[in-house]
Amino acid sequence: MMLHLLNRSPRSTATYQDVSEAFGSDDHLLLIEDACYAAQPSAGAALEPFGGRVSVLQEDLVARGLAKRVDPSVEVVDMNGFLALTETHERCVSWF
Amino acid sequence: MLNYALLLHAAPYSHQAALSALRFADTVVANGHRMKTIFFYHDGVHNASALMAPPQDEVHLADGWKRLHQEHGTELLVCVAAGLRRGLLDVSEASRHGVMSHSLEAPFELTGVGQLVDAMLTSDRMITFAP
Amino acid sequence: MIDVSDSRPVPQDLLVVLRHPPHGTHWLREGLDVALVAAAFGQRVGLLFQGDGIYALLKGQQAGPLGQKGTHPQLAMLEMYDIDTLWVSARGLNERGLSADDLMLPVVPLEASAMVELLQRHPHTLIF
Repeated sequence: MMLHLLNRSPRSTATYQDVSEAFGSDDHLLLIEDACYAAQPSAGAALEPFGGRVSVLQEDLVARGLAKRVDPSVEVVDMNGFLALTETHERCVSWF
Repeated sequence: MLNYALLLHAAPYSHQAALSALRFADTVVANGHRMKTIFFYHDGVHNASALMAPPQDEVHLADGWKRLHQEHGTELLVCVAAGLRRGLLDVSEASRHGVMSHSLEAPFELTGVGQLVDAMLTSDRMITFAP
Repeated sequence: MIDVSDSRPVPQDLLVVLRHPPHGTHWLREGLDVALVAAAFGQRVGLLFQGDGIYALLKGQQAGPLGQKGTHPQLAMLEMYDIDTLWVSARGLNERGLSADDLMLPVVPLEASAMVELLQRHPHTLIF
């Protein structure tokens, strides 16, 4: 079980491809910073490889005006939720 | 309680990542965990600059890191190889290299990459923030 | 076509994933520095080359015209530090039209499923 942090816009397709190659069936993806743009329904294809095990950081969403543009399959978490994900996942890797 | 270490690769005021890392570190301590080590590597070494002077209405990142050290005993480790290349020198390195001024002061410490390996092995969690 | 290893990868203490090509940025150089130092501290280190990081292994690299040392001298030192476990994304190799003959060191190409297992089985992973 691994937590993957991703901070790039979904237009950075090479980074999304690298994450998907390393993403296991029990893993979880957290979108932060510019990766918030991937949480919109219009970016759906970018998140397909991650099988609905995706969260997005609320503070970064709100700052970007995306609070009401989140795909229902993506869970919104606040900073305490981010920390909780690092508590429950023993290992965490970051893609950029 | 878990021991956290952060690895920060991003320069201040160029990318959000340095602010994200500080916000995460504050959340770690607010939830009763130990923010044990922050290792500054790559362009992240600039976070340790003693010469940083952001506008007053912006977060002062170097002060933010120092506050973690003062209030929670967080080690602030700056990679010496990455730091010297980029102009982050403490008093003794400045003297050794014959330059007039220094740009890094305690509680930031210049250390080797070995300390990053050590932090990885002795912490429960290692979280990387990159540009 | 590339021969993809059937054998399960043997995990090391630390996996360093290298995703950036040489010269253009310092990511590769500073990632390799971590790998070499960890090995010098007695850790068993494995390297995974992924995406444009695969170009780190391309034969025929030189120092840069502006005095950049490049990363091929660091790669030449890996053996001395007992880092001999080099994995590479098979898909990344194919997409770049490269084969093992184009690379300066022997590597084990991995399919995505094996790469997932590689990350799962390493106690520590750092990505550069």
